[in-house]
Formats: sequence, C-alpha cells, structure tokens
Amino acid sequence: MKHIIKIMSLLVSVSAFWISLLLTSIIPESYTLLILKWSTFLYQLPIYLIVSLGCYGLLLVGIGLMRFPTCPYESVLLQQDIVEAKEFLKENKVDVGSD
Amino acid sequence: MELADRAVGLLLSIISLSIFTYYTFWVIILPFVDSDNFVHKYFLPQEYAILLPVYAGVTLICFLSVFIGYVMLKSKKKKA
Repeated sequence: MKHIIKIMSLLVSVSAFWISLLLTSIIPESYTLLILKWSTFLYQLPIYLIVSLGCYGLLLVGIGLMRFPTCPYESVLLQQDIVEAKEFLKENKVDVGSD
Repeated sequence: MELADRAVGLLLSIISLSIFTYYTFWVIILPFVDSDNFVHKYFLPQEYAILLPVYAGVTLICFLSVFIGYVMLKSKKKKA
C-alpha cells in the first residue's frame, strides 16, 4: 500500500509542476511567438519523458548484455564436477541417464 | 556466444541512443528553430512526434493483451 501512495504522490507532484508551467505561459507577455513555441514544447513534454524513460531502459539492457561475465574458468571446473559426480553415481548403481 | 551477446548489446545501445537523440532534437530543439531553416527537411511534421509514440504504445498494449489472452485460453483448454 505504501508503494502505491509513493508512486501516486510522485505522479501528482509531476503533473502539478507541469500544470503550473502551463499556467505561467497563459499570463500575457510581450513575445507571443516565444509563448507559442514554449507551449508547444510544454504540451509535448510528458510523452517526451515517457519515450526517454523507455530509451533509458533499453540502454541499460544493452549495457548489461555487453558487460555480462561468462566466467570461463568456473565453467571448466563445473564440467569437471559434473563428470566426477556422474562417475560416482554410476559406481553406486544410480541411473545417470544418457551420455 | 559471448561475442554474439556483446554485438546484440552494442546494437541495442546504439538503437536506443539514436532514438533518444532524434526524438530530443524533434521535440525540444525544433520548436525553437525558425520555420524556414533547412533542418526541418530531415524531420517529419510535429504532429507525428506525438502520434508515433502513442501508436507504438497502443500497439504494444494490444499485443500484450492478445498474448495474455491466448496463454490463458490455452491453459484453460489443457485443464479441461
């Protein structure tokens, strides 16, 4: 329950900030062209943030894939362990399946 | 195997970075550039900056719902 309240409060604060930024551009100032460009940018800001969040997730996945360690030394040791275990179990007449 | 993983990871990172820079340019920098500048040739009209992500998100949600429904139906048919 606490997590939902945290997420909802974050969402409400971000949207309140966005609405306050929108309201500042309604106050009449001298440069209406600048106001038009600024309000165009503001209206696209939420979708821009969502798309950039998706890109950031993709980037993290790509970097994690690149840096994934394969541990070749431990892999060789594991194969040796498997062979030893199979021999031991075969001696004790346990069925270890096909080789 | 390790090289294939690193190649796929590098490809993903490059795709995400290029999408991010193109979209940043489109949404943030282009509204503040004069309308008769030459860079507007390389970008679609501004409405598509909203339409394309919304369309992609709706497609993703539809695909996820269809997939979940298909898996649920298949499991119910197997149990019956």
